[in-house]
Amino acid sequence: MTTLTFPLSRIEGHARVVMEEEGGNLLSAQFQAVELRGFRNFVVGTPAEQMPVIVPRICGVCSTAHHVASVKALEKVFDVTPPPMACEIREILLLGQLIQNQATSLFIFTMPDRVNVESLFDMDESEANRQAQFSIAQQALKVRKLGTDLITLAGGQFIHPVKAHIGGVTGGISRQAADAMLEQLRKMLPVACELFNAYWDMSVAMKERIGTWGDDEPAYYISSTMSLKPKLNSGHMRVLSPDGEEKEHFTPEEFEKRLEFTQTEYSYAGQTSYQGHILRANSLARINITSAFETPLADSYLERFRASFGSPAHAILCFDLCRGIELVYAMERAIELLADDLEHGETEVGYTPKDGIGYGLVEAPRGPLIHRYVVENGLIADAQFIIPTVHNMKAIERALMVAGKRYIHPGSINLELEKAVGRVVRAFDPCISCATQ
Amino acid sequence: MEGALKKIPKFAVLQLSGCAGCEVSLLNASEWYDKYELVYMPLVVSTHHIPDDIEVLLISGGVRNDEDAYKLQRAVKLVDRVIAVGTCAISGGVTNLGDRDDVREIFLSQAKRAHLPQLLSKTHPVDAYVDIDLYLPGCPPTPELFMGALLDPQGFKAASIVCAECGRRKLNDMKPDHITGFQKGDLDPDICLVNQGFLCVGTSTRGGCRAPCTRAGHPCVGCRGPSNAFIEKESGVWMESIQRVFERMTNIPSEELNEALRSPQLSMFLFQFSDYAGGNRRIRSKDKVL
Repeated sequence: MTTLTFPLSRIEGHARVVMEEEGGNLLSAQFQAVELRGFRNFVVGTPAEQMPVIVPRICGVCSTAHHVASVKALEKVFDVTPPPMACEIREILLLGQLIQNQATSLFIFTMPDRVNVESLFDMDESEANRQAQFSIAQQALKVRKLGTDLITLAGGQFIHPVKAHIGGVTGGISRQAADAMLEQLRKMLPVACELFNAYWDMSVAMKERIGTWGDDEPAYYISSTMSLKPKLNSGHMRVLSPDGEEKEHFTPEEFEKRLEFTQTEYSYAGQTSYQGHILRANSLARINITSAFETPLADSYLERFRASFGSPAHAILCFDLCRGIELVYAMERAIELLADDLEHGETEVGYTPKDGIGYGLVEAPRGPLIHRYVVENGLIADAQFIIPTVHNMKAIERALMVAGKRYIHPGSINLELEKAVGRVVRAFDPCISCATQ
Repeated sequence: MEGALKKIPKFAVLQLSGCAGCEVSLLNASEWYDKYELVYMPLVVSTHHIPDDIEVLLISGGVRNDEDAYKLQRAVKLVDRVIAVGTCAISGGVTNLGDRDDVREIFLSQAKRAHLPQLLSKTHPVDAYVDIDLYLPGCPPTPELFMGALLDPQGFKAASIVCAECGRRKLNDMKPDHITGFQKGDLDPDICLVNQGFLCVGTSTRGGCRAPCTRAGHPCVGCRGPSNAFIEKESGVWMESIQRVFERMTNIPSEELNEALRSPQLSMFLFQFSDYAGGNRRIRSKDKVL
């Protein structure tokens, strides 16, 4: 038996893929998360009200989702309802994160795979193309930064936001600040579309390789967005069957009854399944559940996507294209929301701390995220973080088996395998800091 | 490719156990793109080994497992200038909240995996293993601070404390009776957060971040660590100083304040004091902290 270990890069966190083969037969493919910090244990005993500052540190990429999920969980415990304008500002905060994350995954993590270089900063390899490609890198980083600028506007601090708090947000967004951001968004939206068009073409050109088209079986999908104008700050989860039927929807309080969760000996991250079936979360799950974005550019990309890949779509690299559609949607939707008056309404209400159990749900870029807290005497007695990447773990391993079987043969292993492993894993955009905490 | 273009210095980022927030912040700063070549940072570059011709090594994250310790000791041999970036690298950061026996026991018993990096009993700062030339505290450090550390560490001057950059007015006649935080639900956008009943430690926290949190209405939790007035002293001196600030500005009973000062949101950054967790680490010279 031979063990093949593939270190991973251009993903968030520390992980590796380990395959075992014998005589050209692939025996197993494991996705191993190799880090653990222990948030679930060390937040026990923490004053509950401090969680919204502590939990963003679970992950510097998904911090916004943790921040808002934490606040929402505590609002359930304390029985407090934030004003509508506060919810709108939180939606903007989550859109900022979606822009930041999808741009990072598209341009920093996966675009180098399309042109066979090691990083976005390497994209000037060919002298003839240097001018054009250098500009791709610069523009891509600008689009990405716009997402963090939006997080700063709606969240205060740019990586670990602070503005959402129990009962609302710390303040509104002035007309002047909103207008400045609108100008940036309008300027960068065509740039993002141009980059995405180039990305789409590069992706389609990869037809012959694994991690591309038609290379995995259908799966179940899970998301907390609804079918029209997807909201990230919502209250229900939905499960879609492989043929596109909605199986059921449920509140975060019911997740334990609906989803099975297992630990493995070979990874610090767990795995989720749905009634024994393989589940997928993230961009493709949302797009499969969405009937329309109700913003013009995103809807035209959605139409193009459906025409090319059908609905529901299942090919692995569809995840990547869906991120591009969502990048465009998030920018368009942020433009709509920032046109509203976010300056003069009520931003927060008071509250009295109480004990109890609360669930907070948001749609993070990687899928539905739930924080579940048990509060006793004002302190956290138990905390659970239900992480979207964990929902994807079995799907990642199944896709890796497909890649392994294609490139491992009796007597030879095609060296393309290493690149295919990278492309497959990155399509799911796993976040290891979150998955393990 | 070996022409004039490649004369710019190379740098690498060693990512230990952390959240990648420091790396995201570094990517937000654009001024280094044409002044430094980033040759190793697993988050964005698919190179699995640090080249041996780098000039600067940034280290983010703390030492949580044996693989972190191994990679750290190996990496610093290759380079002259080592910068510890972010609170996790400098003090273990948020994961040091688990530096208590009850947590350690549950955690280590649950977390055993035979073929994965073995967890250490606590998260160690990187200077428990190697010498550091420059500390860049912050959770995460802002892009501006990264640029200071990379491009002009001698010339860069951070503001002494967060209050100097906050812009909120301190009032003598507005004295809260308790630390009520957000419970009242009526935050004033212009007045000092201490006046409004928040446990804000901006008065003794190193500046240079431009006070994004307090400006946005959230109390400073001290992520940049102690200001130069405190960094070479023991944490008790800092505690006394905060006590005095709150005695002067509020009517909050000292027991309530004492308890709050030991709260986790502050202690995750208090670990930047060398003596805070009872360890006997070397004191970090203020000349080495940006």
